[in-house]
Amino acid sequence: MATDATTDMADTALSGTPAGPDTAAPATADRSGDPGVRRGRVGSVGWYLLLGALSVLVLFPVYMLLLRALSNPLAYVAKGQPLYPVDTEWDVWTRAFTEANLGRAMGLSLVVTVIIVTAQLITSVLAAYAFAFLEFPLRKLFFVIIIGTLLLPIEVTLIANVETIRGLHLLNSVQGLTFPFLATAFGIFLIRQGFMGIPGDLRDASTLDGYGHLRFLFRVAMPMTKPIIGSFIVISFLGAWNQYVWPRFATDRSAWQTVQIALRTIGSDRVDRLNIGFAAAVIAALPLLLLLIFFQRQMIRGLTAGAVKG
Amino acid sequence: MSGVTFDQVTKRFGDVVAVDRLSLEVDDGEFMVLLGPSGCGKSTALRMIAGLEEISEGLLTIGDRVVNHIPPRDRDIAMVFQSYALYPHMTVEKNIESPLVANRSARVDGAERTARVQEAAATLGLTEYLARKPGELSGGQRQRVALARAIVRRPEVFLMDEPLSNLDAKLRTQTRLELVELHRRLGTTFVYVTHDQVEAMTMADRIAIINDGKLQQVGAPQAVYERPANLFVAGFIGSPPMNTVTGTVTTDAGGTFVVTDAGTVEVADPGDAVDGNAVVVGVRPEHMLIGDGTESTALRGVVENVELLGHERHLLCHVGDALMVIRQTNDAPPVQVAEKVSLVADPAHLHLFDPVTTERLN
Amino acid sequence: MTDLPVTEAEAEDLGPITAPLGSRLRTTGQRTKDAVLAYLFLLPALVVFTVFAYYPLYRLFWFATHRASRFRNRPSSYVGFGQIRDTLTSEDFRSGLIHSGTFMLYTVPLGIGLGVLLAMAAHRRLKGIKIFQTIFSSTVASSVAVASVIFFTLVNPEVGYFKDVPWLSLNKPGSAMFAVSLSSVWQNLGLTFIVVLAALQAVPDELNEAAMLDGFGAVRRFFRITVPLISPALLFLAVVLVIHALQAYAQIELLTGGGPGTSTETLLYKIADPKGIRSIDVRAALSIGLFVLTGVVAAVQYSLLSRRVHYGD
Repeated sequence: MATDATTDMADTALSGTPAGPDTAAPATADRSGDPGVRRGRVGSVGWYLLLGALSVLVLFPVYMLLLRALSNPLAYVAKGQPLYPVDTEWDVWTRAFTEANLGRAMGLSLVVTVIIVTAQLITSVLAAYAFAFLEFPLRKLFFVIIIGTLLLPIEVTLIANVETIRGLHLLNSVQGLTFPFLATAFGIFLIRQGFMGIPGDLRDASTLDGYGHLRFLFRVAMPMTKPIIGSFIVISFLGAWNQYVWPRFATDRSAWQTVQIALRTIGSDRVDRLNIGFAAAVIAALPLLLLLIFFQRQMIRGLTAGAVKG
Repeated sequence: MSGVTFDQVTKRFGDVVAVDRLSLEVDDGEFMVLLGPSGCGKSTALRMIAGLEEISEGLLTIGDRVVNHIPPRDRDIAMVFQSYALYPHMTVEKNIESPLVANRSARVDGAERTARVQEAAATLGLTEYLARKPGELSGGQRQRVALARAIVRRPEVFLMDEPLSNLDAKLRTQTRLELVELHRRLGTTFVYVTHDQVEAMTMADRIAIINDGKLQQVGAPQAVYERPANLFVAGFIGSPPMNTVTGTVTTDAGGTFVVTDAGTVEVADPGDAVDGNAVVVGVRPEHMLIGDGTESTALRGVVENVELLGHERHLLCHVGDALMVIRQTNDAPPVQVAEKVSLVADPAHLHLFDPVTTERLN
Repeated sequence: MTDLPVTEAEAEDLGPITAPLGSRLRTTGQRTKDAVLAYLFLLPALVVFTVFAYYPLYRLFWFATHRASRFRNRPSSYVGFGQIRDTLTSEDFRSGLIHSGTFMLYTVPLGIGLGVLLAMAAHRRLKGIKIFQTIFSSTVASSVAVASVIFFTLVNPEVGYFKDVPWLSLNKPGSAMFAVSLSSVWQNLGLTFIVVLAALQAVPDELNEAAMLDGFGAVRRFFRITVPLISPALLFLAVVLVIHALQAYAQIELLTGGGPGTSTETLLYKIADPKGIRSIDVRAALSIGLFVLTGVVAAVQYSLLSRRVHYGD
């Protein structure tokens, strides 16, 4: 196909202004959203301002909580709700523990969370191993059974499970708080995904070396999937610590409140004690905030596992 | 029609100088290859032409315009990326036509647009694939879609960033030929980046060898091969690479010689080499011969290995401290491993380099 | 390779499961042992699922089809599926659906939109960008209870900072639901931000560069290139946020107690019945309704995701 490319290209008008070593193209040329081109300094300031504004928007509610924890509730309202603390009662933090038994609630939450995370890890790893490395009849059936549980979250099965726990006399107990969550389909799928990433050749090689299943699991499979397991632990911890619906109805005595349920009642009896409740909320959020700061990568990996490739 | 000119162009990333005062003129319509090892700055130089990297210092000109501050879309260039960068969610047809619909000022409509897309597709043999998506195509086909997208906008300059590196060996050879034919047909300026010296030698009108951000040499492939400007170019161009050995220059009535630990070589053209100075001698594998031991000037070597390539032989010999490669035809007398050999270098094909500056002396 | 116990074709049939690793090297005896081991490994999880997922499902139907006797020591009597139908067509169920639906309508688009906004802003090479990224993802550390307490300080009619803002008032039915939804929107920001940012980061730089060279301006690049390529992640988020909406309970209990009146009682709130006004058969029937709803969401998710949403324009 003989295209008369030269004349055609002569037709293509040269766009843009001619000559001049410093053509006045704006430094804020439309590079928005691209990490591709490094921009001039003028553009950067604009972005910092935008990011700053958005940060304020996101953090304002948190600021408000801190503010209200650090202010006497009545005095604060009386002063017209300013943006700075009013009549700070510095002992709210300790009072949350002494007057509201926050310590027991946090301790209970910790125990329940650790049990749930450990149990979920064990059950998920074992089941994931079965699906990834073992042959057995009726695989598909079991797979479907596990997928099916995604349709039966605790919200749907709530009242039936409460009755079950009640029948077993496990209301207001650690067992009652933990039993329904000792296994999770999410964990099984996530860890299975990790196991399937292990090259098949490795399994063959270890079989030739004489590794049995258990040794392979502990010496090869789990060490090789440490990142995914780490992510799972973080996400599982997050979910267990933040639970509300189940602890709310699996217990009816104040001594058995987990920290989230305790937030409902702390400081809510009198208006001038509201700041204790707010302080308690701050304390309740701290463990997870620390988790986010120190395990950000694992958390992100766990949350994006289903959503984004790679 | 436009050439590209780098005038003392420098690119800094923080403290790191990626491209150091590059001055290079790419002639209008020429196929220029930027060749160098990984990280030498060749891709950065290419991206500066595209406008994907800002220029720290110096002037970049396309045609007769200085383009330092002109945005990529207004530079009238097209680029083929190493990964092809095809839009995975669009059909081949939509991918090819995208430069024509991208913005209002460049917009080409209706019949003209269809015609250009069809033409580009036909040029690259893609007509039957227009309705498919990139995910359904092979690597070679995807590369051709990237090329079609580039040619459809009829740019002044084509930029290519290692376009063959993701193809298997056989496809690479075939595509090399297609690219050269494309260049011949379009006559547009091509600037092509690669680390593969075979690609550079076979495709380029001129090669610009770059190392550590600095231009080492620019010239036609054969010229660069026959007269490398410094040790780096000497070692980079040519496969198997040039043999080198250090020695001292000695001049007497019989001519100029270089005395090394392993023997002496005679030099036909000493150039700027000074008697008594140390020098690095380079000689290509095809310019060394196995002598019978009676020559007056020869290097002593021990055969380390004999590689049979089918069409020729390569002898790997220990000469002093160095390992040298000698190319032999199949009908030359056979040589054994561990045999001591006498190597004669062709005096007319010796390259002398200053050991300190690494620059060529002759 | 000819005696592979599971052929390529059979592996395909198993759907998401691929052939087990190392299967080529197992003898028959070993395979039996493998199967036993597999059942053993699956047992703990299966026990938990049976007792706390599937058995409850059966119990829900039982509760919903039996009416408790007026006398404490008399067993319940079977009344049939009609009772379920009655509950599911009742005003109670319908209002629960509507409130849950409203909640969904408020939280899902806003949640995704704001997440995209934050992610687009924070997806660039600037010094210190990681700090902003951490700030934007921080709400993921918040529990529903904490988020509710936080929003208590903002919208509570007596002491909230915005108590006088009319469209956030907890005293009027329309705005009450919106205010409660906002607490979920805020809480979901961390998750939506993290997911959208990851999706943006997965788009190769070269694609954007190619688009720039083709001549696309920033806005067109966003809609024609970026959005289609992150659409799977957006869909994932939509599903997750819908599920979060169906699970909304704590924020309602802590902020409005279901009020004003019953105007913020979502379906789950009615099921949980904290004030104890519904009988167990009604609550069970409502649970079955929630179950069906969850199933519908899952079905939609499955069908949409298997069509892998991309757009060509």
